[in-house]
Amino acid sequence: MHKTIRNWALTATAAAMLAACGGSDPDVAGSGNPDGAPSTKGSFTAIVSFGDSLSDVGTYAPATSLAGNGTAPYFGGKFTANSATATVWVENLATTMGLLTTPAEAGFAGSSVKCPVALSVPTLASTCTAYGQGGSRVTDPNGIGKSGGALTVPMKTQIANHLARFSSFKASDLIMVWGGNNDVFIQFGTFSAVATQIQTDAAAGKLTADQANLALFQAQSNAQAALKQAAQELTGYIRTDILAKGGKYVVVMNLPDSSLTPFGGTLPASAKPVLTALVDTFNLWLKDGLTGLPVKLMDQNLAGKDVYANPAKYGLTNNTVPACDAAKIQIITGGAITDGSSLFCNSTPGVPYNGTRTGADVNTWQFADGVHPTPGGHKVISTTVVQQLKAYGWL
Amino acid sequence: MNSNIRIAGLVVATALAAAQAPAWAQSQTVKAGVIRYDAHSKTNGVTGVGIPPGADAQVGDATTVFLSYEYELKPQVGIELVLGIPPKITAKATGSVAFLGEVLTARNVAPTLLVNYHFGDPAAALRPYVGLGINYTRFTDVKTPYAWDVKLRDSVGLAAQLGADYRLGQHWGLFGSVARVDVKSKLVATGATVLQSSIDFAPWTYAFGAYCRF
Repeated sequence: MHKTIRNWALTATAAAMLAACGGSDPDVAGSGNPDGAPSTKGSFTAIVSFGDSLSDVGTYAPATSLAGNGTAPYFGGKFTANSATATVWVENLATTMGLLTTPAEAGFAGSSVKCPVALSVPTLASTCTAYGQGGSRVTDPNGIGKSGGALTVPMKTQIANHLARFSSFKASDLIMVWGGNNDVFIQFGTFSAVATQIQTDAAAGKLTADQANLALFQAQSNAQAALKQAAQELTGYIRTDILAKGGKYVVVMNLPDSSLTPFGGTLPASAKPVLTALVDTFNLWLKDGLTGLPVKLMDQNLAGKDVYANPAKYGLTNNTVPACDAAKIQIITGGAITDGSSLFCNSTPGVPYNGTRTGADVNTWQFADGVHPTPGGHKVISTTVVQQLKAYGWL
Repeated sequence: MNSNIRIAGLVVATALAAAQAPAWAQSQTVKAGVIRYDAHSKTNGVTGVGIPPGADAQVGDATTVFLSYEYELKPQVGIELVLGIPPKITAKATGSVAFLGEVLTARNVAPTLLVNYHFGDPAAALRPYVGLGINYTRFTDVKTPYAWDVKLRDSVGLAAQLGADYRLGQHWGLFGSVARVDVKSKLVATGATVLQSSIDFAPWTYAFGAYCRF
């Protein structure tokens, strides 16, 4: 008996010490951290990026052909306010590192080519390692815009495509993984539809207030469960298809809070916290799945919150109004694009296909459309990414 | 928590040391009855991704069978081990998530070891006693409809009791006691998200029944 009591006391003391240190608690998912990533400078020859529209360097440019037949010149192509000098964060990072990064695939509506840059400049074949595509999800090939012709190759396949082409990752690859936003949007859309129905039923007296609240809670839990699955799948691919295939310098970025965007600003007060919760759920399981893995988890969620709270610190003057004008884009695209997608937004002064809002500045306004940054917004992202990479000792 | 364990350890060690020097015929007492756990639980709230602010839960009361065994160390001092059939405890959601209803069920196995001091003459009919000791609570069969995996950590804490025996015959009588037990636990429920709460059960227990002394 005496010994047993001592054991209880030991267990309790150990638990108390763990809790006091704020360290990882094996019972609490997401309380651990990645571990074992390199701390030495890399000699990088390529940036290999996987993700969605935020990292898309021009997959859908052919859809914005001025001639309307898929050929250059293009008036859009990136999810930002497009122009001859408009770049997204991963391109800015490449420039900082003295590298080039080009789309791994380009096309639209069932027709696409792999490594398009190599068609005209074969020597650049090693640069087409930017796999991110607008609309892509983690695993599900049915991304946002798929039915409208977007490729939306999921991250699982993006990684598989890289392995099919190069057979493995190299120690000289800087691997950037940033996705899951579209899984959040899909699940948020499903939740919103269910929530609307619940509210309608409650208003019609078919549900009591408690029944409606319970149904809403369950709809949210279902969405959270789907995002848990997506995050766990992504960390699975990182483990088995990147780290086990030679990936050495691997950065995984978590998701920014989509409610802190112009899109988020349009949401009713009751829906906003749900969107935040879905993002946080993905990030929770992402962190949990990366626990103990030799990667760097870059906190874009925290970084984004600071940008939202202190725009002036980052040289931004407007973080609520999209720089692109949906009405202008609708006219420019002959009525085809009604949602103001920045993919079709050009900011070149004086051109007839300029789709920006009068008075907008794509360097100081953060957002091009409801969720995508302007070149100025992308510069904020790339600046923090470069700072972090330097802090890791990698650059 | 730490200091409680140390104190409790000291109590047990003292009792055991005392037990090694018997100089008279010790009596042993077995008690059986019912015990009511009257929870006065407090939590620091229930937190987790997707859980609205103000979410809380409250632990309900429970009644179960009381069993104890006391070994007399000295005419006034005994060491008592209290056991019981683990009762089913339930918790219902309160605050902003009250609509969730019953959110947790569990059984608590809660052996308590006490050193009792009995007042009055051993021959007296009514003998009040006070006790101080250590309670260990382990939660089993922890279930919630809202998570796939739920853990309630073991608790070790102080227990104090006040009671009285009323002798009805040479070997038997009735007893009643009231006790305050320090039971704190951390709840971690893992489902689509991770819920956490620190629960201070702060139970008062009320027991009564019959004893047999031999």
